[in-house]
Amino acid sequence: MAQLRLDKLKPIVALGVFLIAWWVVPTFVKSFLKVSFTEFQAPAWIVSSYLDDLEGFWARRSHSKIELIEAGRELAREKAYYQYYAQRNESLEAEVERLESILNLPSRREFRYEVARVVRRDLSAWWQQIIIRKGNDYNIPEGAAVIFSGGVVGRVVEVNAFTSCVELVTSPNFRMAATLEGDGRPVVYQGILQSGFGDPEGTVRDAPQDLVANSQAPLKLVSTQLGGTFPPGLMLGTVAWLEPGSTGIFQAGTVLLDERLLSLNEVAVLIPLNPLEFDTDAP
Amino acid sequence: MSQFDVHKGDNPRILFFLWIVLVASGVLVAGLAWRQLIAMNEYKELEKRQTERRILKPGPRGDIYDRNGRLLVGNRPHYSAVVYLDDLRKEFRKEFVVVRDAADATLVEEFEQTPLELRPDTVPIANRSDCAWTARMNVIQRYVDQINQITGRDDTLSRSKVIRHFNEQLLLPLPLVEDLSPDQYARLIEQLHPKHSPIQVHTDTARYYPYGVAAAHTLGYVQNVNPDPEDIPSDGIKTYTFKTKRGKTGLERSFDDLLSGTTGTEMWRVDPLGFQDTRLDMVPPKQGEDLIASIDIDLQLAAETALGDRTGAAIALDVRTGEVLTIVSHPSYDLNDLSPFIPRTTFDEINERGAWLNRSLQLSYPPGSTFKLITSIAGLRAGTFNTETKHDCQGVYRLGNRIFRCHARYGHGVVDLAGAIEGSCNVFYYTEGLKMGIDILSAEAICFGLDQKTGIEVPYETSRLVVPSKEWKREKVGAGWVPGDTANTAIGQGFLLVTPLQMATVIASIARGETRTQPTLRALSREEGMQVNHGGEPIGLTQKQYQKLWEGMQRVIGPDGTGRLVQIDGLPIAGKTGTADFRAHGKEVNLAWFVGFAPADNPQIAVAVMVEGTKASDSYHGGSTAGPVAKDIFLKFIEKYPERAGFPIAQ
Repeated sequence: MAQLRLDKLKPIVALGVFLIAWWVVPTFVKSFLKVSFTEFQAPAWIVSSYLDDLEGFWARRSHSKIELIEAGRELAREKAYYQYYAQRNESLEAEVERLESILNLPSRREFRYEVARVVRRDLSAWWQQIIIRKGNDYNIPEGAAVIFSGGVVGRVVEVNAFTSCVELVTSPNFRMAATLEGDGRPVVYQGILQSGFGDPEGTVRDAPQDLVANSQAPLKLVSTQLGGTFPPGLMLGTVAWLEPGSTGIFQAGTVLLDERLLSLNEVAVLIPLNPLEFDTDAP
Repeated sequence: MSQFDVHKGDNPRILFFLWIVLVASGVLVAGLAWRQLIAMNEYKELEKRQTERRILKPGPRGDIYDRNGRLLVGNRPHYSAVVYLDDLRKEFRKEFVVVRDAADATLVEEFEQTPLELRPDTVPIANRSDCAWTARMNVIQRYVDQINQITGRDDTLSRSKVIRHFNEQLLLPLPLVEDLSPDQYARLIEQLHPKHSPIQVHTDTARYYPYGVAAAHTLGYVQNVNPDPEDIPSDGIKTYTFKTKRGKTGLERSFDDLLSGTTGTEMWRVDPLGFQDTRLDMVPPKQGEDLIASIDIDLQLAAETALGDRTGAAIALDVRTGEVLTIVSHPSYDLNDLSPFIPRTTFDEINERGAWLNRSLQLSYPPGSTFKLITSIAGLRAGTFNTETKHDCQGVYRLGNRIFRCHARYGHGVVDLAGAIEGSCNVFYYTEGLKMGIDILSAEAICFGLDQKTGIEVPYETSRLVVPSKEWKREKVGAGWVPGDTANTAIGQGFLLVTPLQMATVIASIARGETRTQPTLRALSREEGMQVNHGGEPIGLTQKQYQKLWEGMQRVIGPDGTGRLVQIDGLPIAGKTGTADFRAHGKEVNLAWFVGFAPADNPQIAVAVMVEGTKASDSYHGGSTAGPVAKDIFLKFIEKYPERAGFPIAQ
């Protein structure tokens, strides 16, 4: 009888031994194991994502020639449209540079971009992260801004050999400086615990008292270059209401984010070309 | 007898112990009841005092606007990086162990290296309190270094500041770096982990002055002070307070009660070591009331620009209500440099330039020839001369063996009252001043309030105002009054001392035909403006006398007048220039004055300008130096209020 009871305790004893061993193991061993585990998992995720791409490819192959021709035409139109905007942007950029040089303004931080596929989404109430299919192999730096066509996606928090982990703007661990469109004063944006129902949300605080937001005229929350991580003007979300915060003068409110954030397939990582300068690059 | 028989109720020993137990229990129950039911409140209070702490958060101050609703003083965010010491306790303990071991090891090493005969009996150990403070400082400085690395600053934190905070404000956040710029703030927001870093970016308010130097002396600045002990509840609960902003000068001081916000309160339950545990209650602070000042910022800026780098003052009053439209004092300072605190170098620099002084009301000067208007009114009211009185000015006036000169070297010839005002003829006023005597002259000046503060809502108005009389000279100078003193007083020189603001009220009073004007810096509603009682009396001149006085003042601005540079086509202006000699800092310097009002036929705005020479080589004159400043104010008045200036508005 006693022998039987001891047998039943074996798993608990094993768990205890494991926990004690983990507790006494030096920190560098733990981080090595963690990284190794991630790197070990990464190929599986990458293969899975390539298979998804392949699946998509074959799915498209099954379309009729007429459909493909029509899609090709549509793409050509889109391309022409974007080419026109690209040219327009180039001329505007040249104009901005000219004005900046005339006004002797400090140079802006320049970025190059790396487009990356999303291989995994790790979304829950407490953490909101995605894994992208580019890492050290593309010189993705930690802390880099991640964007998509709808605006800000998040920030790279971990870079591995072939993958990177991106903290989404929806995450409570994500915080950034922003501005309300048309107003230069910085405010703080932070993600919150997501309910899982409805559109993703965040919070904004330290908004100046003279700003008024309502559902008829919501304010747009955009990125600012002040923090150095993001270029200015990227969309974060809309603020439908603001109410006085605990300071008695600044306002706080909820930010409605883009619903596409939780179903992204492709993002762009902005990699700074010049280092962050102190004071000189501040507006 | 069974073994249980001894427990029978009639056993006396049992009964004895039973009663002891019952009585003891009764005492305990009674004690418990006493504490729980009767002394309950006392213990509750005691428990509250031991476990609860209160934090008072002052509310932001109200804004100050100009009369047209433009922001003159507001609040801007004041960012700082702070840390709650409670969040660092684990790190303090870890660091303490490291510091203590290192200090002990050093002492042991020293002990072992000490020759045997000099060694103490036991191995010394490091002072634990010192180790604790070193550990705390190490941890805190590491966080300051982290902030420096992100922001590019080079801040340090003194040990005394940390100790003071630890002992006096444990529940409040410890400011590591204060007054962060917006980009430093943004970088900290983005680069500090919101959950894992104990550093928090704290947003408070600091005063913000959109127009910088404009009306700096009038608007005033604030100082961060500890709140009055009277404002702290005296219920025995330990209270921590953030510093509150109190008006130090100007409107910020005069309307401090109005502008001050309502203090918010947070109640915390703390652990036995005094660190916060649970927030029990929170009442958010509320912003103070706004103040609408009477100043018109466009007129103010026009006057500031016109006065430029020169030293002096310029005031414009609404003739009817006494509202101050413009009040300038130069040299000035940028109020934004004094917010959120005054750096020592800034204080010294302003002090060196003499810019702390509000020259419009804190310094008194001889009014020069602008005082001749008072002399004129005094003579007319006393009947010592009339509108037909004329004198022949040959450029000098002989009084005994003293010669008093007119500023026109070869004289003005025969002049009447209007001509004397137009040409600012000293000889006319020497003659008439001596005729009426100092008693009438000083009585008239007193009637216009020149011996009293104006009572404007700005603190520190000077009381060094002199309207000389025989008694005054005997008392203050210790000498008798002589006719020469009267002659000098009649032309606004001698012992007379007035402020530019007083001269502005005098000219506004003359424009209205009264003896007093009560200036105010508060914008009045239309109804309030209609009911203003300046507290004086009508001057009481006849129509003819008024006409003569007005004629003289308008001729000052005419083609041959001393104030011809003030002329504006289409705007009838009445005024008087003045040039006085003044001794400042051991040097004889010029003072240039201009007082006037417009439109002369329907007075709306009264202006007084004083420009002070700062060196002997400055050759200032009322008409050419102070006059153009007044002209710019009048021009801006026409632009802003064409209807009141008598200019038709284009439909």
